[in-house]
Amino acid sequence: MNKLLDWLDERTGIRALMGEALDEEVLGGARVRYVFGSVLTYLFLQQVVLGILLATYYSPSATDAWASTAYIQDQVAGGWFLRGLHHHGSSAMVVVTLLHLMQVVLAGAYRAPREVNWWTGLAMGGLVLAFALTGYLLPWDQKGYWATQVATGIMGTVPGGEPMQHALQGGDQYGNLTITRFYALHVFVLPLTLAALLGAHLYLFRRHGVTPPAKLSEEELKAKAQPFWPNQLFIDIAAMAVCGAILVGLTYETHGAELFAPADPASNFVARPEWYFLFLFQLLKYFEGPLSIIATVILPGAVATFLFALPFVDRAESRQAKKRGPVLAGVGLVMVGVIVLTALAIVEDAGNEKYQKGLIAAHEDAEKTRELAKKGVPPAGGIAVWQNDPEFAAMELFKANCSTCHAVDGKGGQEAPSLSHFNDREWLRGAVREPRSVAYFGGTKGHTDMEAYAKEDLPDEQLDAVIEYMIQLREQGEAEADASTYDAALAKKGQALWEDELECSGCHEVEKGADGVGTPVLWGRGTRAWIADVIRNSGQAHLYGDNAEMPKFEGKLSEADIDTLADYVYRQGWGKADAEAGEGDAH
Amino acid sequence: MSTDDQDSTPEAKSPTPAAHGGEDEGRRTFMKVGVGALGAGLAGIVVAPALKYTLWPLAEGTEVTSGGDDFAIVGQRSEFGPEPVKVDIYADRVDAWNKTRNVKIGSAWVVEREGQLVAFSTVCPHLGCAVDYSPEDSKFKCPCHRSAFGLDGAPEEGPAPRSLDALELSNDEDGGGLISIRYERFKQGTEDKVKIG
Repeated sequence: MNKLLDWLDERTGIRALMGEALDEEVLGGARVRYVFGSVLTYLFLQQVVLGILLATYYSPSATDAWASTAYIQDQVAGGWFLRGLHHHGSSAMVVVTLLHLMQVVLAGAYRAPREVNWWTGLAMGGLVLAFALTGYLLPWDQKGYWATQVATGIMGTVPGGEPMQHALQGGDQYGNLTITRFYALHVFVLPLTLAALLGAHLYLFRRHGVTPPAKLSEEELKAKAQPFWPNQLFIDIAAMAVCGAILVGLTYETHGAELFAPADPASNFVARPEWYFLFLFQLLKYFEGPLSIIATVILPGAVATFLFALPFVDRAESRQAKKRGPVLAGVGLVMVGVIVLTALAIVEDAGNEKYQKGLIAAHEDAEKTRELAKKGVPPAGGIAVWQNDPEFAAMELFKANCSTCHAVDGKGGQEAPSLSHFNDREWLRGAVREPRSVAYFGGTKGHTDMEAYAKEDLPDEQLDAVIEYMIQLREQGEAEADASTYDAALAKKGQALWEDELECSGCHEVEKGADGVGTPVLWGRGTRAWIADVIRNSGQAHLYGDNAEMPKFEGKLSEADIDTLADYVYRQGWGKADAEAGEGDAH
Repeated sequence: MSTDDQDSTPEAKSPTPAAHGGEDEGRRTFMKVGVGALGAGLAGIVVAPALKYTLWPLAEGTEVTSGGDDFAIVGQRSEFGPEPVKVDIYADRVDAWNKTRNVKIGSAWVVEREGQLVAFSTVCPHLGCAVDYSPEDSKFKCPCHRSAFGLDGAPEEGPAPRSLDALELSNDEDGGGLISIRYERFKQGTEDKVKIG
């Protein structure tokens, strides 16, 4: 080993290089307070390695980004862990950057002759935030998409900011160019810039050394001096280990980073920035209209300027903290402001019912789309993953086979009854009041037999009773009849009307197993099984008999497809009302 | 601390303990070992999962790309004869995170031999170029390294180590004479025909 080192050293001078790197006197001795820079360097290097690993699976395009991220998160072995480390690593960088900044301010290390070091540090702090902002968009999920929309939107509202915004996002809208640009920034421009600044920062740091406690005299500092290797490095690496352990714990605890549903430009997602930008988000709430520039540019700009100018602002004769009260108070005020605003944002969201509901819906969507993505995402892009949903298959089946004559939600033909809200109370009322309107049987050729019932002949309360009776009849056709779906007393009244006063029974049978007279028997009418029967062959005796006009789908569609369609039609009306009633109970 | 001490470090393993406030060698060794151990641990946080993650496509039971495992219809029986016809094979393909319906996954030559249809993959068994058909001399020819194959797929010239790879072909007499092929890929450059995947 030594021989090999000798050989290498002769040719490269590696020992001198290592010596140069490690043999530094730490005046006043190694201290815990000096660890932050080292921890940040460690975090940065780890982020670089993790980023490269993520890039081996991630695909930066508007159509692939979400799908490939979901693939990393939910399929690739260890993918969730590495992505989680990268995500939480960015939070850690923000936190440690702040701690580093506080330590430097407390020690007065920004003062001459270390001003340039202070500035390179501040610039790197800005880069850390730029990393966070650009990285947030890359998964192209709802959260990243909408939060980043807000950020670039802010840029667009600033005077002269619109060309900048368009240059950054590659046009006036989000798309492939937005993601390729953010990707290039995040993985090439920012890391290279940061590495260059870090080099300068370290060089300057080595030139000036640590900023030891101000109260120690020159002699004391010399006397207490310890070498960087191994004394300070040991403390540094212990701090890195603590930081690494926290990151691992956090990543396990949260099962890595969140991944929401794919970006959907048509949705109304409750956008929130990452937690360390919440103070800016909160600040924005206090300034409306033309004043918003105060929150977006003027205040953050003033704080940045103050920090950059700190070496000149600070005119105190000594580095000692007690001599620099105003400066420390100024920085402290900014920190308190940031913390208070962040806390306010969190508290407000916690009490915001709409936001909380939106968040629950967003998590449900996330879970569903990620499950669907396991079957493979169609190349049309992230939101096309919904095509894997059985509901989408049902809609496609309906479009292909039914919509020439039947409409749903206003889309489709008018030759046959509209199936929006099919068979719910409102639909049934309409069928009795105006059976010949195009929404019902007006478009069909033969169905002119049923007369419309006007209010004079059938007052509303009587109609309601009859409708309830019809719903009871439908429910009796279910395999497991649920008496709670109708009002039994009202249905009984309806039955009496039906049998004694109205003329319905002249054309409609209500007995199970009876044959109709070219009109549907109402027992079990409207269940899924009944709808499937109509789809198979509406000319059956208990359905429309000789009056049937609808084509038979028996033999044309598979039984599974017929069941899918029947379920789809059922859910347009009764099923939907059912589900909503159920939800109402739950809340 | 003397300047001599600083200058001597590249050669010396460690600075003289006495120079640092009388720190004993044991403590310094502990710190050095600690740096090594903690550093290795920190690296391990990423390296261990990274290995699993990077090599995941090779893991058992993992299928990153798939498609065309079933027979794909390529045409009617009447379209094929003693002159080879090239057909494209379409199937649903899963490629990592994407699932694409009905995309081209490869192609094959279909030719009638003694009344029976046979299908050959167009992938040259040598190094994977697409094999062409040359009607002048009735041979399949690879444009890359001049391998040539007879109509029965047997290698006749060039470096190809084996015959063209025959693909399973099904002639559905009842279904109106539709011809379908099961598309597969095989290892290149070997004498034996070994299926990939």
